[in-house]
Amino acid sequence: MIAAGVPVAWLVARSAGLVALALFALAVAMGLAFSTRLLGTRRGKMVLGWHQTIMWTALAMLVVHMVAVGLDPILNFGPLAIVVPGVASWRTLPIAGGIVTFWIMLALAISFHVRRRIGQRRWRLLHYASFAGFTIGLYHALGVGSDLTGARGLVFAGVAVAPVVWLVFARILLPRPGARPAPASRPAPVPVAATQAPQRAGDREVVHA
Amino acid sequence: MRNIWATVMATWALFAVLAVLAWTRPLPAPAPQQVPGAVVVTGKNGTSHLVVVQSGATPAHATTRTSPVPAG
Repeated sequence: MIAAGVPVAWLVARSAGLVALALFALAVAMGLAFSTRLLGTRRGKMVLGWHQTIMWTALAMLVVHMVAVGLDPILNFGPLAIVVPGVASWRTLPIAGGIVTFWIMLALAISFHVRRRIGQRRWRLLHYASFAGFTIGLYHALGVGSDLTGARGLVFAGVAVAPVVWLVFARILLPRPGARPAPASRPAPVPVAATQAPQRAGDREVVHA
Repeated sequence: MRNIWATVMATWALFAVLAVLAWTRPLPAPAPQQVPGAVVVTGKNGTSHLVVVQSGATPAHATTRTSPVPAG
């Protein structure tokens, strides 16, 4: 039974926002874990599947967060202020950041299903936006989140960011297990004109010297 | 199956965080006890009277919020 006077919408908004951010961090970390290929093919495929699922779940939690914010009678945000960045009059910049994060997450979640249509290059570029979305979302949470002030915010940010940063470095620095090593020396390409030209007796010795 | 698992776990996480937030919500402060005071009133003719005054101050309004949220 809900006691009278309990701000249900406000509590739901806060808890859904926290869960959404945690899931978004998990999804980003899973995507990076897959791209490093450190997990192997079988585990990598499993992580990739969970990566997509967690992304959609995070997006659903974000929608719950936004709807709850919209329903809160004290916040008094209009429906436009929830989906359009810059409309909210209170703490405009951090709230705009949260809305931008939502749109980036939506684009990312949809991109899984239209990857072939948009092409690998665009899909990859869009996926790079996830880092920006994650950073902006964290800025939103630390900027307006009433539960992430002071030390709690730093601990939450550290737990969310540390695996992502570690995996980014792993992605950049570690060699991919599946990648073939580059050949030590490649034979120089022979020009077409040279192959067609009549060879002299001493040419072969010069090339292999 | 994976989607169902994710939905169930996320919902549980949502309710768990919700319960923690509701549990740790600062309760409204109790109204201060009204203690009657007494003042000495001196009349025109020099006589003094002890007048008992009830505390009429409005108690501080406690909010249920953890942060100030102005209306937009």
